[in-house]
Amino acid sequence: MKQILNQVRSEPANILKSLLALQEQFGHVPGQTVPVIAKMLGVTTAEVAGVLSYYPDLRTSAPGRHVIRVCMGESCYANGCGRVLRELQERLRADVHETTPGGRFTLDTMSCAGNCAVSPTVIIDRDLYGRVLPSQVDRILEKYT
Amino acid sequence: MATRLYLSNDTSARAAGAAALAEAWADRSDIQLIRTSSRGAFFLEPMVERDGADGRIAWFNVSPQDLPAILSGKGGTPVQTIPFLARQTRWTFANFGETEPLALDEYQARGGLSGLEAAFRLTPDAIIEELRVSQLRGRGGAAFPVWNKWKVAQQAKGERKYVVANADEGDAGTYCDRMILEGDPFRLLEGMLICARAIGAGRGYVYCRQEYPAAAATLRAAIHKADEAELLELDGEPFPIEVVEGAGSYVCGEETALLESLEGKRGVVRARPPYPAQSGLYGCPTIVSNVLTFATIPHILSRGGAWHASLGTEQSRGTIALQLGGRVKHPGLVEVPFGLSLRQVLEEFGGGMAPGSRFKAVQVGGPLGSLFPATGLDLPICYDAFAKAGAVLGHGGIVVYDHETDMVDLARHFMAFTADESCGKCTPCRIGSVRGREILERIQAGSGTMDDLRLLDDLGETMKLASLCALGGRAPYPVLTAIEHFPAEFRNKLSAVHRQS
Ligand code: SF4
Ligand code: FES
Repeated sequence: MKQILNQVRSEPANILKSLLALQEQFGHVPGQTVPVIAKMLGVTTAEVAGVLSYYPDLRTSAPGRHVIRVCMGESCYANGCGRVLRELQERLRADVHETTPGGRFTLDTMSCAGNCAVSPTVIIDRDLYGRVLPSQVDRILEKYT
Repeated sequence: MATRLYLSNDTSARAAGAAALAEAWADRSDIQLIRTSSRGAFFLEPMVERDGADGRIAWFNVSPQDLPAILSGKGGTPVQTIPFLARQTRWTFANFGETEPLALDEYQARGGLSGLEAAFRLTPDAIIEELRVSQLRGRGGAAFPVWNKWKVAQQAKGERKYVVANADEGDAGTYCDRMILEGDPFRLLEGMLICARAIGAGRGYVYCRQEYPAAAATLRAAIHKADEAELLELDGEPFPIEVVEGAGSYVCGEETALLESLEGKRGVVRARPPYPAQSGLYGCPTIVSNVLTFATIPHILSRGGAWHASLGTEQSRGTIALQLGGRVKHPGLVEVPFGLSLRQVLEEFGGGMAPGSRFKAVQVGGPLGSLFPATGLDLPICYDAFAKAGAVLGHGGIVVYDHETDMVDLARHFMAFTADESCGKCTPCRIGSVRGREILERIQAGSGTMDDLRLLDDLGETMKLASLCALGGRAPYPVLTAIEHFPAEFRNKLSAVHRQS
């Protein structure tokens, strides 16, 4: 942890960058680590906690092995992202922000991925799928174990 | 000899199948695959091109087994005859589909860097004068004259000055910044350098949203190349540019919230004045403009401000990058001079509705933009006409909704978005959006009353007047325009006793 924070150290301390770097390495930033991080960065715990809770992409608990994000932006909405999301919820028996038992998938929504022209969009880990139909959901999920 | 084929490496082209093509053809020794940016005709992607006698020949919606036809030259269409592209006026997007994004020599061969060279021949004042003559307005939300902002930053005193490119293109339905970052990154860097020279800045940042990983990676590679070519310096001093990624907050697209986030803090909106041009990043004079604005600047310097001012309408000069999405037949990027009507754009470029769909409404300018029914389609696309109609052009995103759209649900969707994304700094937005969502949920559940509709109206007025930034201030527009243009849908959902009143 120290090593990572030293790498991103900048003047003055950049809390967001530091938290993102930690998350990149460990997958999430547990709440208990906040005081330690604050001390190392030379800022208050309230400041670190404030940043950690503010940004939707910062996680305080570990996600599943694969994170599925369904775009809820307007172009995706118009093209039926709601149906794709419902299909995913049924297949995974998980709601938005939930992780499937066994930890295979975490289901999330997101705002626009800039892929609107070939929407609806689903992102799994780093793979982006466009023009997704509910009927394709099964086949897409198969690729992830 | 291997046949040279061109295939876009743009995120949306990849999602449409370009990635699968590249994979399927990876081992073919008879083809040489050049990964370009996308022309933005996404309905035709994946599109494969090869050189012809008079320019490129293209094959549309290609699948791996189409390769023999392409290699034998059967069935291709000359790119210049594709109506979607031929009708556009491309300046900012002129390189798209033509070049490899990270080939600096190609960028230069097609006129790149001549704007920067022109800027080096001018004094900072003369650069700003050129911008004034061009009448360029910021391509983000507020459409503020660019030269004015630069002048303020130039004259402001500060230990350091910064140039910040806002690549937090958060409005749903917009993707032109993403395309520039991925497809023509040197154009952004060139625009930033010109700005830095004009205001005397010593450092640049690109704040890129986390949702655009390919854009951030391409940009970092472009910065590295530009650095190697010794382009990142001004008057003998280094001008480092760093890419900083955000963490999923929509409000960080607002310039002061963006600066807070860049400093590593919670991305909440700062009260203005002072404006960032006077006191921005770490309290120093800072120009924050979005990617498209910076990308427009090289041509203005190389071709002259008067050239730019000769395009477009009275108050909106130059071209606009429209991004068509939703239920249109031909979604994609369209660059045209300001002034075409919405109807023209949807018919001539959008190609009408997607098969099986009937038009219901169109929304311009992202999740905070107003909705237009069919009767509103004659509005010309320019800042003044939109302002007069109480609407915003925003970032030029156009989303078309069809007959299956439930307007009550859509309105709830918008309010839920605002409630989720509110930075919490001011009460009308923080509380108003949650109340708004609750009311709409009540209506949706069938227990709403006429009073609820009036309440939404009241709430909307308060949010419009008393919010600190555009998120709260614009949030009521899509909801209220939905109620205004589709009142029956809302009334039909009210509890039975209230439907008549
Ligand atoms: S309007 Fe909303 S997002 Fe903007 S400053 Fe106020 S609370 Fe924050
Ligand atoms: S609205 Fe979903 S990718 Fe843009």
